[in-house]
Amino acid sequence: MDQPLIDMRNITKHYGRIQALTDVNLKIAHNEIVGLLGDNGAGKSTLIKVLSGAVPLTSGEIWIKGQKAEINSTSDAIENGIETIYQDSALVPQLSIARNLFLGRELRKGPRFLDRMDLAEMNSVASELLRKVGISKNIPPTTPIGSLSGGERQAVAIARAMYFDSDLIILDEPTNNLGVAETIGVLKFVRDARDSGHSCIFIAHNIHHVFKVVDRMVVMRRGKIVADDLDPKTCTIADVEDVITGEDLVI
Amino acid sequence: MQRSLLGRFIDRPEFGPFVLLVVMIVVFTSINPAFISLLNIGNTLAFTVELGLIALAMTLLMTSGEFDLSVGAVFGFSAVVMWTLFNTDIMSLPVAFLTALGIALFIGFVSGVFVTILAIPSFLVTLGMLLVVRGSALWVTDGFPQRSWRAGDQWLAEVLVGDFWICNWTIQQTTCNPGLRVYMSVIWFTLFAILCHYVLTRTAFGNWITACGGNPSAARNRGVKVTRVKIILFMFSSFMAGLAGIISSIRTTAANPNSGAGYELEVIAMVVIGGTALMGGRGTILGTVLGIFILRLMRNGIVLIGVPGLAYNIFIGAIILGMMALHSWLERRHNAGT
Repeated sequence: MDQPLIDMRNITKHYGRIQALTDVNLKIAHNEIVGLLGDNGAGKSTLIKVLSGAVPLTSGEIWIKGQKAEINSTSDAIENGIETIYQDSALVPQLSIARNLFLGRELRKGPRFLDRMDLAEMNSVASELLRKVGISKNIPPTTPIGSLSGGERQAVAIARAMYFDSDLIILDEPTNNLGVAETIGVLKFVRDARDSGHSCIFIAHNIHHVFKVVDRMVVMRRGKIVADDLDPKTCTIADVEDVITGEDLVI
Repeated sequence: MQRSLLGRFIDRPEFGPFVLLVVMIVVFTSINPAFISLLNIGNTLAFTVELGLIALAMTLLMTSGEFDLSVGAVFGFSAVVMWTLFNTDIMSLPVAFLTALGIALFIGFVSGVFVTILAIPSFLVTLGMLLVVRGSALWVTDGFPQRSWRAGDQWLAEVLVGDFWICNWTIQQTTCNPGLRVYMSVIWFTLFAILCHYVLTRTAFGNWITACGGNPSAARNRGVKVTRVKIILFMFSSFMAGLAGIISSIRTTAANPNSGAGYELEVIAMVVIGGTALMGGRGTILGTVLGIFILRLMRNGIVLIGVPGLAYNIFIGAIILGMMALHSWLERRHNAGT
């Protein structure tokens, strides 16, 4: 295997006396969609939070493109090309699509001390991006996020990650609460993201959705990775369910 | 998606307060024409902008999802500090002025740190701060007002509250007749209103303010320094309360340690009537300016039309309830996508 994009080595995380992650090793290749599966409390969220800088790790190392990385905050993760799209905390409902797209990295014009946003440029980039991901349907970039549907919001969040050229996009339950058509749309965005050179970690409870889109599945149980190379082309949903619940399937 | 101009105007949070203000002016004027006399406008403006300065800062703070109950106390305390320092010849007036504002900034900083870093709700923090600051004002002065009439010959007093007359030209006369008396504080209020509106709608910092109130974890995930934004806004609201208190003390020639009591609620009422959300995420300076005038003109107007002044609070309470009902209806209408 070529040098992996992300290489997490011996990651351990304690919350007080609770051991959330034990000696986790996980590699993500370039242009790869990895499905991260596991029951509630298996450690998926903790692993993602460590990688996205939301919580500090207790011990272990994260290597990115062959370089050891220090990820101590969400800003560090973003600088290292890791973008995480959480279910409810990705976007600000009251702000427009364009303002959300550039939140924290607003385009500016004029003298620095005026801190003035280049709203015209932000809106035109946003329009272009909306058209590209295929949710344009005459939605102006000044529309508040609050009046978009769940699928459209996911699309905006994914479009943002693609625009800022993140190497790795982490999607936390992106198809939750979405209708059938919207789910298909979001799965398409994920594939588009891979085809344009991004890697993804896709977390979902719905194994059917994961099967449709991922290249490889990783299963966690009680803070450990119990399978890290399940191929959706060769195994069945029942097999994966057995691994998740701990019905023994020897890997 | 294209809606009529009227439809879009109705959807704006400023729509309700704007209509109410127009109705009030029409009703009051038709009952008592003195309501729009230059004398009445001049007097009302002078008093209005002092509370208005605080309301502008409070709008930004509330948009970020916090509020400050200690502004009334800071209003009284800053003026007391400045005049005590000046009257006892410890400092010249400009230095005392800067010292008082510095203390106001520090008060805001402490509130901000308690709210953000210690994660205590702003209601509790600023309630505590209200008592500390008001208590300090009373303790420093033994409860007596500080005299401030020596302000007369100070340039600083002129800059802050000096007054001038806008000429009342008529066709027959070619000389300037004094018409509308305007205090410098009106100019300061206008400048700060424009500044706050610019910051909230045009700057990246304004984007962060709304994001902090709308979805703080989303803001944090995007690298916005939520803690820093909120602390700055607490400091700004405290600063503006101090400035307003000092301006008021010069205009009324007294720095009373009890002045400003109850202003915090009146200011918050002005802001929410204008359409800013109490829990953050939506804020409008234009709406706040309308809210400021609605409350002050109501106080002034009901007296002029002969309603007992003591009934004032009934009207204000009714306006708040009515406006909240309107805003929540607009919100639901908006979310339904109609």
